[in-house]
Amino acid sequence: MATETASTGAPPPSLTFTRPVFAKLSPHPYLLRTLSPDSPDQQPTRNNGRAPHQSRPIQINTSSLSQAHGSSLVRTGDTTVICGVRGELLPVTSIPQFRPHNGTLYDQDEDDEARARKELKDYDLLVPNIELATGCAPQFLPGVPPTTLAQTLSTRVYSLLHGTGVVDGRELRIWYTPETKKEDGDDMEVEGEEEEEEQKPEVVAYWVLYIDLLFVSFDGNPFDAAWAAVLAALRDTKLPFSRWDPDREMVVCRKGQDRKLSVRGLPVSCSAAVFLEKEHAEVGKEEGNRHWILLDPDRSEEGLCKEVITVVVDCSEGGTRVRGIEKQGGTVVGRELIRGFIGVAEGRWREVKEAMGN
Amino acid sequence: MTVTAAPEAALGVLPRADGSAKYSYAGYTVTASVNGPIEAQRRDEHPYEAHVDVIVRPAAGVGATRERHLESILQSSLTQIILVKNFPRSLIQIVLQVEDTPENDYVNTKLVQASLDFAIMPALFQTAVLALLSAGVPMRATATATAVALVSQDGSKTSVVDPSPRDVEIAQSVHVLAFTSQDELLLAESEGDFTVKEWDEVYETAKQVCCRPVPTKEGMEMVLDDEHTSGPDLRHFLRSTMEQKVASDLHWK
Repeated sequence: MATETASTGAPPPSLTFTRPVFAKLSPHPYLLRTLSPDSPDQQPTRNNGRAPHQSRPIQINTSSLSQAHGSSLVRTGDTTVICGVRGELLPVTSIPQFRPHNGTLYDQDEDDEARARKELKDYDLLVPNIELATGCAPQFLPGVPPTTLAQTLSTRVYSLLHGTGVVDGRELRIWYTPETKKEDGDDMEVEGEEEEEEQKPEVVAYWVLYIDLLFVSFDGNPFDAAWAAVLAALRDTKLPFSRWDPDREMVVCRKGQDRKLSVRGLPVSCSAAVFLEKEHAEVGKEEGNRHWILLDPDRSEEGLCKEVITVVVDCSEGGTRVRGIEKQGGTVVGRELIRGFIGVAEGRWREVKEAMGN
Repeated sequence: MTVTAAPEAALGVLPRADGSAKYSYAGYTVTASVNGPIEAQRRDEHPYEAHVDVIVRPAAGVGATRERHLESILQSSLTQIILVKNFPRSLIQIVLQVEDTPENDYVNTKLVQASLDFAIMPALFQTAVLALLSAGVPMRATATATAVALVSQDGSKTSVVDPSPRDVEIAQSVHVLAFTSQDELLLAESEGDFTVKEWDEVYETAKQVCCRPVPTKEGMEMVLDDEHTSGPDLRHFLRSTMEQKVASDLHWK
């Protein structure tokens, strides 16, 4: 550039930057400027061209991984995440502290459901893991242990999986009913009662679902994308037909008779970040510090916001049920704003439901 | 299954740390130490504000993903109440050691669990705030936190403040809310299945516990306390603990 000015000579060195350069140099004032336009007829927009309450459209593809029992690929803007669900068999003999099941195969009561829920947790039948791939965003370096973000995300996914109970633990049980031996007639009368006892069906193994998530590209709002991917992959999961072979003492699976995993409800998560007018404001004087709630923030916006809110809602059973609220890092979002945000999340729920396909 | 014992706290329990506190309530005992402002590591250094580092150590085993999540929640909340702008490029380190957790009598559950433990969060929060006060770290406000579980019994829902592990297990939904001393909502974490209306009720209950107005001198607060004791008065507890500590420290005068 210097040589250019030297050669032409005429234009004086100017201090005007192009918009991207300015956005990179001082991101906070830049975003503030675009959010508060000079004239009232201009709509406030973000750097990425969206309105504050506008989220990125979501695209969901399923069954793209051939080796997994269920898989999904979710895209929201430049955030792309792949999720694969793989079922592995866990015989009860390899569970430490296994407590034999005293229910029966056809129990459909609430107690059994609660027990199944506990089994999921106690025997770790759902194992989510999140990997933020090297290169999906500049801040993730190769060869480092999982970052705090990755660990936090997998805990959140784990908590939400158990908290919402989307997977029915009863479907992961593998039953076996011992056959009655009829040939030895002499002992029949003596051991009649015992035989009766032995005929009860028992759980011999469980399916463990390994839910692996890989961020291919990371551009903010990782939890919403990750949760949508988990949900889509679970809805896509088909477990092979399996039965206990008493002779070989192992579980055998049969090809071609896959059973679809039923997923209860459709909880959808919706996140936003709170952008404050004064980045380094005098603390304790928050009156007069304007704020904007940016729905579905991207990576550059997440870097500028401290307060974040995530709401998980499920409207699939008529009324709106809230399945989780996470709000931290600030005091702007109070009771009224959370209430209003649940309404915003309902809108997002409809978008995601549409993208899920049914 | 409400906890009858009042919360207990001791300040300055660790002689070498800048500030420390030990807090026990609802079966949880947590000790915290605070050091700061100290020199920050190069990668944590922020040109305009202090970096707040929170380390949570579980009662048994080493910290895993769950502790990382707890740390990130506490870190983002405490950064809001500490005057971090006063100490650019430095570090305030808070170490929380869980000493005791209530046992679940019903089952022999696993020692290490991956899901977020809601019931422990208020204890960690309160201990951290007490230790920060003990260390004399400038703060713009204090904060108090409480856990509320909604348990459905015989068709009706009851809210349990400071739930036991058994309550959390059978609860429909569990909530943790933290309020600053200016009555602002600092932290809200909820899990389970609930409606907006139920959340509103939980909000009211939690606010009752965390932000009860400072009792007046007339003695009428005793009557009020008996009327709706839905939990301890945490703000008053924080205040009286500090008052006691100051009084005993200035005893020589």
